[in-house]
Amino acid sequence: MVGYVCKYTPYLVIESLGEKTVRIEPKISSYEMSNSLTHPNICSYAKLVLEEILKKKTDKIILTNCCDSIRRLYDILEALPFIKFLHIIDLPKKRDQKGRFLFKNEIIKLIKRYKEFSGKNLDIGNLRDLLNNLSPSIEKRNEKLNLVIIGGRCKESIIEIVEEFGGNILYNLTCTGNRPPYRPIGINEDPIEAYANILLDSYPCMRMDDTKERLDIFTQDKRIDGVIYHTVKFCDLYSYEYADIKDKIDIPLLKLETDYTDTSEGQIRTRVQAFIESLKEKAKKDIQPKSTRKDLIVAGIDSGSTSTNAVIIDANRRILGFSIIPTGAKSIESAYRALEEALKTSGIKMEDLSYIVATGYGRISIHFANLEVTEITCHAKGAFFLNKDIRTIIDVGGQDSKVIKIDKDGNIIDFVMNDKCSAGTGRFLENMSRVLEIPVDRMGKESLDWKEDLEISSMCTVFAESEVISLIAKNKDRKDIIRAIHKSIVKRIISFIERINGEPRYIMTGGVAKNIGVVRCLEEKLGEKVIVPDEPQIVGALGSALIGLEKLEGLTICV
Amino acid sequence: MEKIIKAYSNLMKRNLDKPELVKFLIKIGLEVAKLWVDYVGDKDAPESLRYLNSICFKFILEPLRDPNNSAFVNLLAPTEILHSMDIYPLFIEAYSSFISGFYCENAFIDKATAEGISDTLCSYHKTFLGALELSILPKLKFAVTSSILCDGNSNTFRYIANRYKIPYYIIDIPYGYSEESVRYVVNQLKEMISIVEAITQKRFDIDRLREIIRLENRTKGYIRSYLESLKNHTMPNSISLEMYKLFVTHPYMGREETFRFFKILADDVIKYPDSGYRIFWIHIMPYFSYPIQRYLNFNKDFKLIGCDLNFDYLEDMDERKPLEAIARKLMLNVNNGNFKRKIDNIKKLIIDLKVDGVIHFCQWGCKQSFGGFMLLKKEIEKMGIPFLAIDGDAVDRRNNPEEQINTRLSAFFEVLTERGKRW
Ligand code: SF4
Ligand code: SF4
Ligand code: SF4
Repeated sequence: MVGYVCKYTPYLVIESLGEKTVRIEPKISSYEMSNSLTHPNICSYAKLVLEEILKKKTDKIILTNCCDSIRRLYDILEALPFIKFLHIIDLPKKRDQKGRFLFKNEIIKLIKRYKEFSGKNLDIGNLRDLLNNLSPSIEKRNEKLNLVIIGGRCKESIIEIVEEFGGNILYNLTCTGNRPPYRPIGINEDPIEAYANILLDSYPCMRMDDTKERLDIFTQDKRIDGVIYHTVKFCDLYSYEYADIKDKIDIPLLKLETDYTDTSEGQIRTRVQAFIESLKEKAKKDIQPKSTRKDLIVAGIDSGSTSTNAVIIDANRRILGFSIIPTGAKSIESAYRALEEALKTSGIKMEDLSYIVATGYGRISIHFANLEVTEITCHAKGAFFLNKDIRTIIDVGGQDSKVIKIDKDGNIIDFVMNDKCSAGTGRFLENMSRVLEIPVDRMGKESLDWKEDLEISSMCTVFAESEVISLIAKNKDRKDIIRAIHKSIVKRIISFIERINGEPRYIMTGGVAKNIGVVRCLEEKLGEKVIVPDEPQIVGALGSALIGLEKLEGLTICV
Repeated sequence: MEKIIKAYSNLMKRNLDKPELVKFLIKIGLEVAKLWVDYVGDKDAPESLRYLNSICFKFILEPLRDPNNSAFVNLLAPTEILHSMDIYPLFIEAYSSFISGFYCENAFIDKATAEGISDTLCSYHKTFLGALELSILPKLKFAVTSSILCDGNSNTFRYIANRYKIPYYIIDIPYGYSEESVRYVVNQLKEMISIVEAITQKRFDIDRLREIIRLENRTKGYIRSYLESLKNHTMPNSISLEMYKLFVTHPYMGREETFRFFKILADDVIKYPDSGYRIFWIHIMPYFSYPIQRYLNFNKDFKLIGCDLNFDYLEDMDERKPLEAIARKLMLNVNNGNFKRKIDNIKKLIIDLKVDGVIHFCQWGCKQSFGGFMLLKKEIEKMGIPFLAIDGDAVDRRNNPEEQINTRLSAFFEVLTERGKRW
């Protein structure tokens, strides 16, 4: 079995040489061995490929001269004793005549090397057949939401999530994407030359010189409902294209960054699901209420990483009761307890509940809920319900922070979430409270009468922590240090707000909204007042209860 | 001095919404800096290095003064062709370094990342792109880059050219060397020349290019003689000055000033005796880092002997076939192709220059270099030479953990002195 990574790999010639091939698709959740062979900051995908090769002892590998990370991967693999066949294809960036000639010769070189290695001969007729048997890729067409996935290499699981929630991938312009448009090869045509042309004629990746074709689809294909832009951590090739198109195209766009491991799947799920929900919401028609029952009672549960919150509402959208409890080891148990407590405060019995909606990080495991909706949709719903003037929702919780932009009707226009890093979240505040030996809930007040304007420059929590420690060592006043910490959180939030062009009025929700110091710094930076609801932690749960009610009333077709 | 620069930096940062003003401030700042370098300068530095400092300011100012007759390039662009047509190159690594010299890199970088540029991209590129996004980057006539050294080049240049709607040309340098790939590159050089002729309305003259190459060869003669002398002499040096050499060993190779610099350098070096531990640096340097400055700037005990990037291609070029010669120069640069080529070059330099210790700088985002540093480390340690790798950022101060660097450097130099001189 010969492993390869790049879509430009002429793997069929290897098959015609009688060897099976496989595209390396690592399914690994951590880097164990690769870190001793290279720097942790090379592209996450390349690092996982190395990990996979080491684990599976893959001994025959073909790479392309794709990028810096893959070139260095080649050098590292070259030094591994168990590898029997290693080849790098010199992929030209130019697709003109000269580039094509060069690439064809690269294929010939590969054949020659593999022949020498295996002692087998190329069956040219077989190659022609293989090429001819690959029928032209048929575009899928259906009534679902049509999405484009574009960007750097994209894991199969992301596509599966999109499909699970009812999205149809119209184009996949990532490294794992659409097969090249194969065309029949005539009897008198040289299959190798034809193969080189077929590969170079596929949608160019960002490594190619001329990449215009990639973006043409957005102007030419009117069926596209949404775009998912995917980038791999530590791969920079694709962020240029994202920066370029994000304001240019008029189609809703979701930016996803993954490190290609399995660990971020929960996050990706939430974001993809929320994105698809928002697309569906947009397509929502005016539907008359189906039900006008007045005895409906709905519960919303927001299962977050640090707290689980529940809200009970009635058909008049009055809040009957709520609860906020810390999330324990099992999210379903915490959810049940939160629900029980909220029921207690509202004097309602479990059996009187008409409907339960779960949201938040742990929503998938709350089996007793009738419906699960992402926290993005729920926060938008809850915040808009509280105040119709709100256009930007800033939610900073224990482990994640997000900023959501909505329009005058409460529809989501755009949103951003933090990735795995905890900068700008409650977790960061908690760590700092430990370092500074002050309870988290006192930090806000304490910071208000600051004197000296200190700065923490690093966004990375690890570096920021060491900056805080050195400020302590310099005997700086705790008040001022706390304020600097708040400012650094706000800096992160502001970058999110800028990314989606947030507009007033702003609302801040989530546990960190209770910290008056952070709110003040944020207001200072925004030059705007920020609304903080009385109970900033229950906005998500409230939104999910509202969605439940709408569902019962037949207002929402989104879920 | 630092206070003045910081105040100037604040003035710039306060006016980021007035790009024309900031552009002007950058230019004036550099003009003043040049005057300072010319008339005051670094008293500890030998004459040749003071001259180097001065011409670097001259080089960076040329395109800023005359943007209509200038082009964006990367470190490994075929600038000989531009010199032959009297077009001024502006290489992006230098521009970003100077922005960082003005303490403005953070604002520029934040702007680039807010626009969606990856924060894991190398800061040389992020700063440059930030300047573009802030409309502070001057709009030059066109852009030329080669695909080698790092991935950022082709993408950054394409991005800038599209934004400024100026022509750009990427010279795709194949990974492997063969006569066929030389032809592929020559062909591109020809295409590039015709594009440049069309944009600038200047005529390319092959004989003029031959003259440039002849000068380049004579310059390289002095570099080789400098290297030879370095075996028995060590010169006062600083991390900034060693970085400035990148100007003359790369984009400005083939210029009169460069020739003159290496000529005086070759004379200068023999004035100094051999002393101290010889430290060899791999990759770029965070010139602003205090701990590194403390250990390596004009230090009597630890002598910064050189940096691998300045010795990546020292062969003579065939002036009879100038385009082929340029193609070969680009393809055979030790930073192209297999990493072994770079390792072998470094090993040779270590032996030639009797190096006592090696420091490898892992620049944030520079995958091409740090991706292979474990391979390099293994080889150098096999030679019995102490090797230190430090993580940091030569542009973005926020990414340069000074405390950590200090601790690691101190430990490294302790080990070095403990072991005694190697050669
Ligand atoms: S970026 Fe291009 S060259 Fe690299 S793996 Fe993807 S398709 Fe292949
Ligand atoms: S994800 Fe990016 S950096 Fe990684 S291998 Fe692909 S193109 Fe290279
Ligand atoms: S430091 Fe590395 S990534 Fe940055 S410009 Fe130089 S070669 Fe490219």
